[in-house]
Amino acid sequence: MTWRLASSDRGEGPYIWRFSPLDRVLHAMVIISFFGLVITGTPLLFSHTGWARVLIRLVGGFQAAAVIHRICAVITFAYFFTYVAHLTYRVIRSSDKKGFFWGPNSMVPQPKDFRDSIQNFKWFFGKGPRPRFDRFNYMDKLDYWGEFWGVVVIGGSGLILWFPEFFALLFPGWIFNVATIIHGIEALLAAGVIFTIHFFNANLRPEKFPIDIVMFTGRATLEYLKKEHPLEHERLVREGRLEERLAPAPSRAAYLWSVVLGLVALVLGIMLIALILWAIMQWNA
Amino acid sequence: MLLILGALPGIAALAAYAQVPEAVVCQKCHGNREFLARRVSTPQRAAALYVPDSILRDTQHGDIRCTDCHAGYGAGYPHQAEVPVVPCQTCHEQEGADWAASIHAVGEAVEDTPTCVGCHGSAHTVYDAEDRRSPTYPLNVAAMCGRCHADARIISTYFMAPEAAQARVAVPQYYQNVHGAALTRAGLVISATCNDCHRAHRVLPGDSSESSVNRSHIASTCGTCHVGVLETYEEGSAHGAAYRTARRSVEGYEAPACVDCHSAHQMVRADDPEWFLGISQKCATCHRHLWETYLGTYHGQVTDLGFGVTAKCSDCHTPHNMRPASDPGSSVYPLNLVATCARCHPGANENFVKYYTHGDPHDRERYPLLFWPWLLMTSLLVGVWGFFGMHSLLWFSGVAIERVRRRARTRGDRHDTRAGGTP
Repeated sequence: MTWRLASSDRGEGPYIWRFSPLDRVLHAMVIISFFGLVITGTPLLFSHTGWARVLIRLVGGFQAAAVIHRICAVITFAYFFTYVAHLTYRVIRSSDKKGFFWGPNSMVPQPKDFRDSIQNFKWFFGKGPRPRFDRFNYMDKLDYWGEFWGVVVIGGSGLILWFPEFFALLFPGWIFNVATIIHGIEALLAAGVIFTIHFFNANLRPEKFPIDIVMFTGRATLEYLKKEHPLEHERLVREGRLEERLAPAPSRAAYLWSVVLGLVALVLGIMLIALILWAIMQWNA
Repeated sequence: MLLILGALPGIAALAAYAQVPEAVVCQKCHGNREFLARRVSTPQRAAALYVPDSILRDTQHGDIRCTDCHAGYGAGYPHQAEVPVVPCQTCHEQEGADWAASIHAVGEAVEDTPTCVGCHGSAHTVYDAEDRRSPTYPLNVAAMCGRCHADARIISTYFMAPEAAQARVAVPQYYQNVHGAALTRAGLVISATCNDCHRAHRVLPGDSSESSVNRSHIASTCGTCHVGVLETYEEGSAHGAAYRTARRSVEGYEAPACVDCHSAHQMVRADDPEWFLGISQKCATCHRHLWETYLGTYHGQVTDLGFGVTAKCSDCHTPHNMRPASDPGSSVYPLNLVATCARCHPGANENFVKYYTHGDPHDRERYPLLFWPWLLMTSLLVGVWGFFGMHSLLWFSGVAIERVRRRARTRGDRHDTRAGGTP
């Protein structure tokens, strides 16, 4: 196999499944809604900048931005509750309940994740080999729990700001000030983490540059699995379950669309984070 | 009207002489176009001398005698060619004195100096200011003033000094402003025109303490028409109180008077969003910190983005009746807050109004409820982003070290091969 732009499709085949159709649909919803939220929300936080004034008019003024922001919030709640419901269903139906909360297929942080992160820092300084990851490494878990935490915190504070008159029946008015502070700063944290750290870990780091489309096509080559998730590969071979995970190669159209849309999202996200950093510098100046 | 009142004593004095319809005599020649055309050299001169009774009778000067102004023509014919006209202030004493004290009379008189006829037209066609034909009729005033104040030659000759900047732009700006639009577009003759603010005869520059448009008099000048606003402003607002006593802010600013918010010649309707946005920033000239904390709220952010929909200063504090929160008459007095907020938020209750409209999360003393969440969230932001940002940057170091070692190993391998060793 020749060199491909998408790191998930480089090297020796065959393809191996990594993400389910539901995972991919939910991730697509995250992308769409998160861009919608950031584009319509950051102009408020950085209202002092020229780009904020341009951006808010590009989306049709602040009233339109407010509507788009709420539509994207509804999409966010939709994927969040769909995911939680599906997870609950899977936990209830599964014969291996322990596997959800512990072990290589679980998203729960475990001692190995801390050991891996320490090992990674050693590798950064040339003091040891790279850590060898299983199915989910500690950076994947950061993204996962960051998403969870972010939706709860930003979504919760956002609901308070969406329905102030209702929440004023229960709480004193200063909770709107607190909700504004939490909503804004947590949103910056989410944008900061997704547009730099998630982008780097999942796409831009030298091993994967410029893009990894496994989250779009749901599958990656065997070579990718061996490099990125060597322990998972060894485990699947040992347990004789690699066969179960064999996948057909993605169609040419699926590959191209994934690469194009992924690159668009990457560029858009980097532009947004650049604007945010620029605005913060203007703040301090 | 002023013209008539001013002229009354003069007219009374002249009444005694008005026995003979002397105009009839003058009319023999000056009401005869053919005769005049034969007697003088140019048609222009003939037209100027043609003053038929039919025109004159209709004017303000219809019942005074020709010789009252053209004194010296009384005895015999043919009369002398040129005899000076009696000055207008002979009868119009007050107007003359006012004009003489005005900016229009300053300096040496030149051809362009706006004297009586400059504004009122020839004495033979002077009409009452309430007469539609008069250049001093409200609908005609701006155009009349504009003959100089919108004339390129006059402007470039006389109005180039920095202090005359207003004189250059006032008339074109007036046509665009709310008063000018009311007059020219809505045809509303009660709308203010030039002389309503600047006076008709005693026109003085704004920096003259006597001027009707001087800071110290502007409130009463505007209040001539805007009686209700003047009452509100003067009788209780914090700005009105400071204006009355000429008190200055800590920064040394004078209390805001009408023109500070509404401007002199560019005033627009109060619902114009662009103007409204500018106003909030003007409030910030003195109320800096309140403006900055306002910008931290949704109200302020939307305003800052250039939209006029969310609450601006005057929406909560009222436009003219702004009072301190300790004043029971204030819109932001604690007991009035529910009503004030409910103007936009119909469901506002006691809890709702505990919102800090000017809360400052950086002020630990006054807003601990905002400070601690702010500090917590900011620490989280800086901590997480900083740590994993560093993690990403260090990744390059890991890759670089790996590559250098691999290259060194490859070179070492080649060296070993050449030396005949085993790889």
